[in-house]
Amino acid sequence: MARFTLRLNGTTRSVDVDGDTPLLWVLRDDLGLTGTKFGCGAALCGACTVFVGDVPTRSCSLPVSAVGISEITTIEGVTGPEAAAVQHAWIAGDVPQCGYCQSGQIISAIALLKAIRRPSDRDIDLAMSGNLCRCATYVRIRAAIHDAARALGG
Amino acid sequence: MWAVYEYSFKFWQPNWPLEVIAGRNCIRLSPVTSALPRRFLLAGTASLLVPLAIAPLRSQTAEAGADHEITDWILIASSGDVTLGLSQPEVGQGSYTVLPQILADELDADWQRVKVRFVTGRETYKIAFKNEPPVQKEGASMSTTVLYSRLRTAGAAARGVLIRAAADHWKVTANQCRAEKGFVIGPNGQRLSYGALAADAAKLPLDPAPHLKDRAQFTLVGKPLPRLDSKAKSTGTAIFGIDVVVPDMLHAAIRSAPTFTGSLTAIRNEAEILRMAGVRAVVRLPAVHVANEEPGSQHPGLAQEARHNAVCVVADRFWQAKRAADALDLAFDPGAGGDLSTAGIDGLLHQALDVEKAVTAVETGRPREILAERAGSVIERRFVLPHIAHAPLEPVNATASYKDGTVEVWGPIQAVAACQDAIAASVGVKAEAIKINVTFLGGSFGRKIVPDYVVQAVLASKAVGRPVKLLRTRQQDLRHGIFRVNAGGRFRAVLDDQGYPLAVQARVVGQSLFGATRKSWLDQTPEGAWDESMVDGIYNQDYRLANFLVETIDTPLPVPVYFMRSVGSTAAVFFWESFISELAHRAGIDQYTYRRTLLAGNPLALRVLDAVAEAARWSTPPIPGTVRGIAYNCYIGRGGRFKTYVAQVVELVPAADRLALKRVFCAVDPGLVVNPNTLAAQIEGGIGFALTTALHSRITFADGGAEQTNFLDYPLLSIDEMPEIVPIILPSDRPPQGFGEVVLAPVAPAIAQALLQSSGRRIDTMPLPAEAFRR
Repeated sequence: MARFTLRLNGTTRSVDVDGDTPLLWVLRDDLGLTGTKFGCGAALCGACTVFVGDVPTRSCSLPVSAVGISEITTIEGVTGPEAAAVQHAWIAGDVPQCGYCQSGQIISAIALLKAIRRPSDRDIDLAMSGNLCRCATYVRIRAAIHDAARALGG
Repeated sequence: MWAVYEYSFKFWQPNWPLEVIAGRNCIRLSPVTSALPRRFLLAGTASLLVPLAIAPLRSQTAEAGADHEITDWILIASSGDVTLGLSQPEVGQGSYTVLPQILADELDADWQRVKVRFVTGRETYKIAFKNEPPVQKEGASMSTTVLYSRLRTAGAAARGVLIRAAADHWKVTANQCRAEKGFVIGPNGQRLSYGALAADAAKLPLDPAPHLKDRAQFTLVGKPLPRLDSKAKSTGTAIFGIDVVVPDMLHAAIRSAPTFTGSLTAIRNEAEILRMAGVRAVVRLPAVHVANEEPGSQHPGLAQEARHNAVCVVADRFWQAKRAADALDLAFDPGAGGDLSTAGIDGLLHQALDVEKAVTAVETGRPREILAERAGSVIERRFVLPHIAHAPLEPVNATASYKDGTVEVWGPIQAVAACQDAIAASVGVKAEAIKINVTFLGGSFGRKIVPDYVVQAVLASKAVGRPVKLLRTRQQDLRHGIFRVNAGGRFRAVLDDQGYPLAVQARVVGQSLFGATRKSWLDQTPEGAWDESMVDGIYNQDYRLANFLVETIDTPLPVPVYFMRSVGSTAAVFFWESFISELAHRAGIDQYTYRRTLLAGNPLALRVLDAVAEAARWSTPPIPGTVRGIAYNCYIGRGGRFKTYVAQVVELVPAADRLALKRVFCAVDPGLVVNPNTLAAQIEGGIGFALTTALHSRITFADGGAEQTNFLDYPLLSIDEMPEIVPIILPSDRPPQGFGEVVLAPVAPAIAQALLQSSGRRIDTMPLPAEAFRR
C-alpha cells in the first residue's frame, strides 16, 4: 500500500492503494466514481476510457502509480464546450441502448472534437473504433458526433 | 434522426428511495405493517442507487404528497406526480420508456410528471412464453406484445376511477367528464388534478373491462418519444449491477475449472493467497449449471452439484481479489468431458448430417419420393456453424448479502423469478426471504437470464458473513459463458421446369437448446422429439412448397447453452435463405422475383419484400462494382405469440481489394409501433448485433473447455464496420408484435447471397470467411 495523490475532476484526492492497481479500480472502488466502466481489463473495448491530461486513456490498463501529476477527467467531471455539445447530442439523439459503453464513447468523442473540429466519417472511424458497443449503437454515435460538431460551429 | 421533443425530463433521480408498492388502496405500506409475504412487497427502482432508503412506516406517510395506489401499475401522489410500474428489466431494448408510454397514454397522464419504478411481486407482472406457468422475466421479444393490452387496461381503468371521483365531487355523471394531461375536466370546464383526485379514486372499484381509446385518440403511443434513460446513460449516473455499493461490502473474483465437467481437487497455495494484501477469504464454490427444468417449473433450471468447480477470492477491493485469484494454484480433475474439442463437435455434426434416420418435424406432400425419383438432379448445400457467446459488455456480476437466513441481491438480472428460485434451491432459504433488486443491465442478450453468477455471489456472501460483489473478469465471463448452440444443415431440393422447388428436404442438426435446458418444450413424435428452435424460420417458413420435409437431429454435448437473442433463427434462417438463394441462382431467376413468386398469396410477406425492394431500387441495376443481396423472414414468437415480417437488402461496395458492407435496407411490419424512436434503434442495433455474429463470432473448444478469453480472440463489431441503416417501418392495423430479436436473422444470408451472385462463391459457415469478401 502506498499513498497516491490524484488530480481528479478539478479537485485533489488521495488514496491508499497498491501501486499496481489500475486507475479504473481506484476510481470505482476507492473514489466512488462508477461512471467509468470495466469491460475487458485489457484495453480492448474502451468502456474504461478517461482523460489523462488531454489524452483519452484506457484506465483499466494504467497503474495508478503511473498517473503522476497528470489531471484525470472522468465522465463525472467532463466540462467545456465539446463535452456539453457531445452530451447534448447523445441525449437528443437517444444514442444509448443498454448504455454501458457510453461513458467511454463520450470521452473518446470529446477528445475527437477537441482535436478535429469537423471530423469526417473516416476521422470518426479512426477515433472511435476502439470503443466497442455490443448493442451496436454506432449509427447514432456517428450522427451524434456530427451533430455535436455542427453545434460547435465546426 | 427523430425530432427531439421539447419536454424537460426529470425522470431519473439519483437518490430515489427504494419504495414499496403494497396492496391496493394502501398508502406506502412498509413490510412490517403488511400481512403479505415479503417477496410480494419488493420493489426496487430501475435506476438503483445504494445505500437504499427503506420505505417509511405508514404513520409517517399519511400526509400530503403520499402516493395512492390506483392499480398494480400506477401510483399517484397528492402532488400530482405519477409513478408508473415497470415489470420488465431494461437491458437496452427501451422497455423503460415504451411500457410506461402505453400506460401513460390510456391514463391520460402528464408525461412530464411521470416517474418510472421497477416493480415485482404481483401476478399481473408475470408473463408466459409458451407452455410454462407465467413468471416475471424479460425475453423472447415478448414484453410489449404481451403487456400492451394489459397496460392499456390498467391505464384506462385508472383513468375511469379518476373521472368517477371527479364526477362524484361535481355531482355530475362520469360521461360528462373527460381526462386530459393529468386533469379531469367537467361539463362546465371545471378542472381537478389527478393529484387532488387520487385519494378518492383509490377507494373506487376498478372497471375490469374499461373502454379503451381508439388509435386516433392516442396522444403518446405511436410517437417517437425520447428515451427516459438517455440522460443518465450519457452522464455516467445510470446504475448498472457492477456499480452497486452496499455498506460493509467486500469484492470477489473467481477462477473456474478449465473444463465444463471439471472438479476442483486442490488449492495448492491457499495459505499464501490468504496472506496477500486485502484478502479475506478463499471460497470453494459448488458447480452451478443450467439443467433441465422440471415440467411446470420456472426456467432456467439451475442444478448445484456436489463437486466444486470454482474458487473465489474475497478481498477488500476488486483488484486485490482479482490479483489473488490470478495467483491461485489450482488443481482440477477434468471429468468426463475433458477431451471435448471443436474437431470432435464438428465430427458429430457431419455424422448427423449423413445418417439415414432423423426426427421428422414437418412433412407435406411426397418429398422423400420425389427426391429419390430424381436423385440425379438433386441440388444440395451443407452448412456448419459454431457455438457463440452473448458477451454483454457488462460482464456478469452480482452483489449479495446473506444474513440470518435471508438473502438480498442487487444486480443485472433478466429473470427475477428464476433468480429467486435458484437462490432458494442453492442456500435453502424460502423464496419469501429473498429480495431481488434489479439494476440497469449492461447488455444481456439472454445471458443474464441464467443466474449462475448470482448464486455464486450468494454463496460467497454466506461463506464470509458479509455482503459480497462478485464480478467476473472478461476472461471468466467468456470462457465460462453459457453459449448459443452450434448447428449444421443439409438442404436438398429438386426444381420444376420453371426453376422453382418441386421438393425440399431441410435437415438441421446440432446441440439441441430445448433438449439441454427445456425438455418440456420439445415436440414429441413417434420417432423421437424435435426442438423447434433448431428450425425456427424453416419448419414455419412462408414459401409455397408442396413437397417439404424438415428433420432434426440432436447431438448432445456437455457445453452449457442457453437462449441468445434471436435464438435458433440466426442459424436456421442463414441456412434456409442461403439455400433459397442457391435455388434461385441455379434457376437463373432474380432473387427478389424468386421470393416474390414463392410468397404469392401472402400479402403481409409481400408487403415487406416489395417495400424493401422499392426502397433499395432493386429493379434498377446498381452502379458497377456494387453487389446486393435480399432476404426475407417472418419471425414467429415462441408459442405463436406474434408474427413480425422482415425483409432486408444489403449493398456491398468495393473498398481496396475487398467488398465492404455499405448499407442495409430493412423493411419491417411489426404491427402497431408504440415508439418509432426505440424501434428504429432496435433495427440499427439488431443489424449491428447480427453483423458481429456474421463476421466475427466463434467459440472453439479444446481440452474440455472454451478457448476464447477476450475481445482479441472474440471480437465485436466496431464502428468502422457498421453500415448505414435504412429503416422502413410499415403501418399496420395489427397490435404490437415482438421486435427485439426479429431483424437479426436475414442479415448474414443477404450478405452471403450478394457474394454468391457477384463471385459464385458459396459460403457454408459463419463467421463468413474473410476471403469471401475479396474482390
